Amino acid sequence: MIQVNDLRKTFEDKKRGTIHAVDGVSFECCPGEIFGLLGPNGAGKTTILRILATILTPTSGTASVAGADIRTQPALVRQRIGFLTGSAAPYERMTAREMVGYFGALYGLTASEIAERSKSLFDELDMNDFADGRCDKLSTGQKQRVNIARTLIHQPSVLFFDEPTSGLDVVSSRTVKRTIRRCRDEGRTIVFSTHIMSEVEALCDRIAVIYQGKIAAIGTLEELREQTGKVAFEHVFLKLIDEEEDE
Amino acid sequence: MSTPVTVPSYRPGSRIGIVFRKEFREIFRDRRTLYSVVISPLLITPLLFALLGSLINKQVKEAATETYTVGVVGQNRAPVLSKALAKLPTFRFEPTTPDRAEEQVKRRTLKAVVILPDDADTSLLTGKTVKVKVLVDSGNESSRSASARLNIIFNEVGKKIVAERLKASGLSPEYATPFKVDEQPISSGGGAATVILAMMLPYTLAVAAFGGGIYAANDQVAGEKERGTLETLLVTPASRRDIVLGKFFAVAAVCLVSSLLAVVGLMIPFFSGLRVFEWLAKGGVTLTPIAILVILIVQLPLAVLFAGILLALSTFARNQKEAQTYLAPLFILILFPAMASMFLKSESARPMALVPVLNATLIIKQGLSNSFDGVFITIAFLASAAYAALALTFATRLFQKEGVLIKT
Repeated sequence: MIQVNDLRKTFEDKKRGTIHAVDGVSFECCPGEIFGLLGPNGAGKTTILRILATILTPTSGTASVAGADIRTQPALVRQRIGFLTGSAAPYERMTAREMVGYFGALYGLTASEIAERSKSLFDELDMNDFADGRCDKLSTGQKQRVNIARTLIHQPSVLFFDEPTSGLDVVSSRTVKRTIRRCRDEGRTIVFSTHIMSEVEALCDRIAVIYQGKIAAIGTLEELREQTGKVAFEHVFLKLIDEEEDE
Repeated sequence: MSTPVTVPSYRPGSRIGIVFRKEFREIFRDRRTLYSVVISPLLITPLLFALLGSLINKQVKEAATETYTVGVVGQNRAPVLSKALAKLPTFRFEPTTPDRAEEQVKRRTLKAVVILPDDADTSLLTGKTVKVKVLVDSGNESSRSASARLNIIFNEVGKKIVAERLKASGLSPEYATPFKVDEQPISSGGGAATVILAMMLPYTLAVAAFGGGIYAANDQVAGEKERGTLETLLVTPASRRDIVLGKFFAVAAVCLVSSLLAVVGLMIPFFSGLRVFEWLAKGGVTLTPIAILVILIVQLPLAVLFAGILLALSTFARNQKEAQTYLAPLFILILFPAMASMFLKSESARPMALVPVLNATLIIKQGLSNSFDGVFITIAFLASAAYAALALTFATRLFQKEGVLIKT
């Protein structure tokens, strides 16, 4: 379960002055739900996820993630979440098995727990052929599978996916999406951030449209279509952020 | 996906070790690290000494056997002296004139020119001093060698003449030598090679420790930022303190390995017994167990200090390229005190014990010359430990700053 209440984050920039990267964001996400954060680049999606993952501290506002407060219990939050971003590569000079083991150890798992869970994840993600090869020799899709295994090794109850299909081909993208659906079916709470409309339509149960640090709209796909009177989701999105449609 | 949504077990306190082990193991899988930490410190010094040794041997051999063509001004006016000169081996004397002499030395057609005074023979035969001038090109190695060899020969011939004059006067040759000084090296003192080692070792050690840690530190924070892996590490339950300490110990260990191998590399020429290092080893090296212990111990605060500085820099930089830019002037800052130790005496003033890097290198110098100053060593260790703690605190503080760690 995630509860976000009036979250704000400002940065000071010498040239641009005060930047309101996140500006009064509130939402809830329940177990067994994929909650989408949809917005253009620079809208504030990644900053929201980083705050919820306790990498950044909010300027104001509160949030509870998996029953722990992000301000007062950041270590507990981190223990209970998994965070996968499309921009992070695995450690090049480690094997997939070592990489997953390293993160398992950081999450406090014993060697036997790591071995057992790695085996299960490698089977499910079809990683056995390259599990003992160095990560710098793997394809982009294989690297992302290593990252997925690393994210899930400690069986987190809350998962954050920040543009996880970025740079992946269709087949690898499908693996990522399949994993996200499975996690939802297992009852995990999922926040999925993207700027790709089709991914939102295919995956998300509810969506928050983020624009300039604020939530422009929130609801299910149908609710947002109803609200805007548009059918194609691209048009729904543009209507919500008040951009002119390129008809 | 196996069955989920349980809060995993928690094993506190071991995360620094987990990060350290991963970083230390991973760093040695990189060829660049292997080169800068293992191959370079271990082999570069012996190879340089071997090259230098073969060059010196070649030059010494040539200098001893080469026949120098030397001009003589006033040869006709001094037939007795000229006849004596003509008998000298490894010299060929050619008559020349004062107005051509300088040009000939400059053009290197003559290595040097001996200018004999008008009354050379008369002075020689009447027991007076013959004032000989030697024209030499100070910028030319061969010319200086020829001049040095002439100087030695004139001195030797002079001694023989003095002996003959004394004999003719019925005096013993010892009459002109009231003192004869023999240098007797003490058994526990350092040999000539120890002096070279005392100059080279502190410098080599400091440079190897710093140079070895550069790549490791750059890769571990700036590199992780660049590759986006730092963010995945920051979302684990490992605190930032755990992460920075784990990385810090890994960099310090790499600095330590690098400097230890540099010590081994520097010892190879002195103790291997290989012919190519004969020119060094024949000077005799004296290394007491205490000296070895001091050399080993002094590396610890040096490695810790360098690891702290390098890690702070790597944390501050946005990427590896930026870290490299910051490192260039810093390397010079490290090199300067390390080089200064080559020229300073081991028994330097105690305030020097407060100068980072220089203090450690001077202690090594003391160790090699067996002249320990307990107060100096104590101050130096305390100062180095304080600087290392400062560097580590700075690195840890930087690691807490989200603006430094995360691109926003």
